[in-house]
Amino acid sequence: MTSTLNRPPVESSSPATSHIPKKAPIAWKHRLSAFDVKASPYFYVAPFFILFAIVGLFPLVYTFVVSLFDWHLLKGQGDFVGLGNFVAVLNDRFFWNSLFNTVSIFFLSSIPQLVAAVVIAAVLDQNLRARTFWRMSILLPYVVTPVAVAMIFSNVFGEDYGLINNLLESFGITPVMWQNETLPSHIAIATMVNWRWTGYNALILLAAMQSVPRDIHESAALDGAGAFRRFFSITLPSIRPTMVFVIITATIGGLQIFTEPRLFDPVTAGGSQRQFQTTVLYLWEMAFFRQNFGKASAIAWLLFLLIVIFGLINFVLSRSIATAEGRGAKARSQRRLAKVRAREARESLRAGTAASVHRKTTLGADPSKSAEPPAERSAK
Amino acid sequence: MSATTLTRPTEAAETSHVRRKSRFHGIDKRPGWLTYALLGVFFLCSAYPLWWSFVMGTRDNAAFGSTWPPLLPGGNFWKNVGEVFDTIPFWLALGNSLLISSIITVSVITFSTLAGYAFAKLRFKGRDGLMVFVIATMAIPTQLGIIPLFMVMRTLGWTGEIGAVIIPTLVTAFGVFFMRQYLVDVIPDELIEAARMDGANMISTFWHVGVPAARPAMAILGLFTFMTAWTDFLWPLLVLDAGNPTLQTALSQLQSARYVDYSIVLAGAILATLPLLLLFIVAGKQLISGIMQGAVKG
Amino acid sequence: MNLSRRNRLASGIAGAAAFALLATGCASTGGGSSDGDIELSITTFGTFGYDDLYKEYEKANPNITIKATNIDTGGNARTDAFTKISAGSGLSDVVAIEEGWLGAIMEVSDRFVDLNEYGAEDIKDNWVPWKYEQGTDPDGRVIGYGTDIGPQGLCYNGKLFEAAGLPSDRESVAALFGGDDATWETYFQLGEQYKAATGKAWYDHSGFVWNSMVNQLEEGYYTKDGELNVEGNTELRARFDQLAAGTAGGLSANQKAWDWGKGKAFVDGSFATFVCPGWMLGTIKGSLESGGGDASTGWDFADVFPGGASNWGGAFLSVPTTSEHPEEAAALAEWLTAPEQQVKQSAAAGNFPSTIEAQEKLAEEATPNELFNNAPTGAILASRAEGVIAQFKGPHDSLIQENVFGPALKLLDTGKTKSADEAWDEAITLLNDLVVNN
Repeated sequence: MTSTLNRPPVESSSPATSHIPKKAPIAWKHRLSAFDVKASPYFYVAPFFILFAIVGLFPLVYTFVVSLFDWHLLKGQGDFVGLGNFVAVLNDRFFWNSLFNTVSIFFLSSIPQLVAAVVIAAVLDQNLRARTFWRMSILLPYVVTPVAVAMIFSNVFGEDYGLINNLLESFGITPVMWQNETLPSHIAIATMVNWRWTGYNALILLAAMQSVPRDIHESAALDGAGAFRRFFSITLPSIRPTMVFVIITATIGGLQIFTEPRLFDPVTAGGSQRQFQTTVLYLWEMAFFRQNFGKASAIAWLLFLLIVIFGLINFVLSRSIATAEGRGAKARSQRRLAKVRAREARESLRAGTAASVHRKTTLGADPSKSAEPPAERSAK
Repeated sequence: MSATTLTRPTEAAETSHVRRKSRFHGIDKRPGWLTYALLGVFFLCSAYPLWWSFVMGTRDNAAFGSTWPPLLPGGNFWKNVGEVFDTIPFWLALGNSLLISSIITVSVITFSTLAGYAFAKLRFKGRDGLMVFVIATMAIPTQLGIIPLFMVMRTLGWTGEIGAVIIPTLVTAFGVFFMRQYLVDVIPDELIEAARMDGANMISTFWHVGVPAARPAMAILGLFTFMTAWTDFLWPLLVLDAGNPTLQTALSQLQSARYVDYSIVLAGAILATLPLLLLFIVAGKQLISGIMQGAVKG
Repeated sequence: MNLSRRNRLASGIAGAAAFALLATGCASTGGGSSDGDIELSITTFGTFGYDDLYKEYEKANPNITIKATNIDTGGNARTDAFTKISAGSGLSDVVAIEEGWLGAIMEVSDRFVDLNEYGAEDIKDNWVPWKYEQGTDPDGRVIGYGTDIGPQGLCYNGKLFEAAGLPSDRESVAALFGGDDATWETYFQLGEQYKAATGKAWYDHSGFVWNSMVNQLEEGYYTKDGELNVEGNTELRARFDQLAAGTAGGLSANQKAWDWGKGKAFVDGSFATFVCPGWMLGTIKGSLESGGGDASTGWDFADVFPGGASNWGGAFLSVPTTSEHPEEAAALAEWLTAPEQQVKQSAAAGNFPSTIEAQEKLAEEATPNELFNNAPTGAILASRAEGVIAQFKGPHDSLIQENVFGPALKLLDTGKTKSADEAWDEAITLLNDLVVNN
């Protein structure tokens, strides 16, 4: 299946530089047309910018305004307190506790998830029978919404008579306090995230793996490299940029996790000792339980800054990894491709199938290109 | 980047298919039993929690006590489903979720395609600066603006209406970026020029050249936007009420109302999963290629 | 080939959208008001036992449809109510308010209809006076009709008592705990005795015991004048130490309240006593059912309570000013809280009515409660209600109960600390964080 059919009929040979405009508009257009040309782009982008300003930027800016006041959910605006709310939040042990929990859950979900996704992708990256079935089977959890996931796994991880503790007890193992203890509760919540997202990320990594030219694998195989060797020296380096992007989206989403901890214990909003209260959950508690909009806004802004910082770090890291790795991988690919071409040229001469060579090589991906998984997860 | 980028993974996969009988030994041969054993394990990990919930949703609370979880459904499913329908306005919630997600999807696709097309293919003053702005705002978690948004909705008196859920997500910076990245490669400038030569004005050029070319990306963007809207929880929880919920808030309402009736709660969770599950079974292949295409597109 | 596939997807989405339009289109007519048909929404929490009463009311008033929502705990109901009060919409036509956060509601009592406009004065004498007064704001506006009150008796498991060599029939148990002079000291002593004999816990978790201890004081977390009264409150502290010592000695089963291991902790003998305000009987019933227990599990209800009479909880029905049908809503609230219905509610949920006539009726009928070894729970509660005093509830009462002392006592329950000082200090810190400096 390809989407080739939907493309404009002119088969493009245009290089990557095509976004640089080519020629000035031609003068035979009359005035109306000139206005059309000039103004249209603004009409096209305006709806986005206007709406975004209203529903995206304004709330963010206004959150900062609110954070400068005593502001009660019911009583409304109070005195101006400057950065008082920020100081209070930064001195609030629950805020730091929520940050610790958030980051801990984030690591417990992102790292195992990435490792598992790579392994699954590698297993899927073979000439499988019933390929679609297997791909669908790992993506299955993705269609279960976080609310349903939380409800299901709250029962799986129940302390008394949960699925896992029942099994543990039947093997004579002491049941784990999945909600009362900090680390187990983080593991339980991370498991919910992992269950839903691992298959999705595996598919993204699989796509990256498949964009590594087959020829490189083949020539490496000819050189006697086994499957494992090829995985570590060819596959892994070339999917690294994609992995970075998986991590970035995981970060933006992971730092905003709310649904799972909220529903893991619906009575306490993050555990009796706040042992799994995340920052967004604390924000919710501050705003709608403690009814302090001022402090809640300060929390929102601090979290916002944190996400931006994490994003920047990720960006810088991905840049350097992508270029460094890309360069190395590229050089290796080039060498391999040269070899492959030479060999294929020889063989095609013999077999008379030169036609196929060209097609194959155009499929070669540039591994330095960053892959971009859709930023859907930020919306958890 | 070449115009074939979008289809690369699937084509690559298909070539590997063709090349199965490659003379080069080894890399595309059929994998052994170990691979399928591993896949079987992955499959179990994915499917078992769902199956377990379904089984529990067809039984009663006593089933939770048995040490070894029952493997086959019991006879209480319809009774539990009846209880779910009695407790939450399931169909209303499903309708709301579909309506909200559909409107948001259409809106995001429309505005993203328009703006993405302009950024990719049209020249105008300030284009690059605005594009940088779009990229910069992509990482901004607009969800953190819930406090002012809540205040605005309450001032406008929109709380309780599904419009309050729809409005804040009508556009996304990511959508614009995504469409721009796609369109920049996929439409040759010559094509636009040719259309203009034929006397087409800007909007009809967009309609006849831009939109057809953008369709595959629109489908992918639509898919993800729909899922995002469908799964949203925090915001609808704040602005909607029990009388007019989305599927997600209704589910949490069910958990809250029937907190001791675990089999009913799980029956509800399964019931709420069914619509997407059916869609997944019908269109799973498209979803997979969508994710994989979106992945390689940068 | 691709075209057709994509089209299938596209048409699928389009179909879904069309269906959505259809579904909401249909649904929006549901709330309609054609020809005087009125839909009244009501939000309750915990176990209210109203389901049959709704049906009865709908039958008697064919133009009225009742849309009921129930929330798991009073705490979550509080958050829900305040989120909706602040949103200015979304509150049901009738909202149940718990005694514990009535103080907070009183601060925004103008958001609720003055029931005097709908004849509250005429039925004033239905209620025990203090209940009616609680529902009246400082300006004399009546914003809530009392549903139930929470006089406390002692639930105990007769079979477990027997196994531990304790007497098990109701009268002997009441006498064992000290009858009218029952004290917490005796309660904890017996607990130690039970623990020594069986190795098992005495009560499910510390939080509920604590709530009972606080609620029977003349002044709780607030003084009568509405001043916060926790730090330096020696009486409170003495009780806290008493409880902490018991818990540190292993008397608490460290159960998760409102869950109790899916109710199984009530069945498997995890603990032998349970503090029982009337409404708790319904909660226990639900837990027993979900935990697979029944009358043979051995629970019973004794006419005794450590430290004397205690009232924990109870609720009110209010009509928010946002209701589109305040008159009909007030009528429903009035009907649901009328003596006759309170008796039925009590039969369904086990809770104890707040109207005098209903109380007398329960005392008189002394209907045996099968689940509790045929104890006449209504009559026992009537006896337990004697001498109950209405404690002043401040604006943060329920918050202090659940979010200040709850976590502090959980420290003791989970064994994270055995020191009463440490747990108390944690409570004070929490109080300062959540209430004083919020």
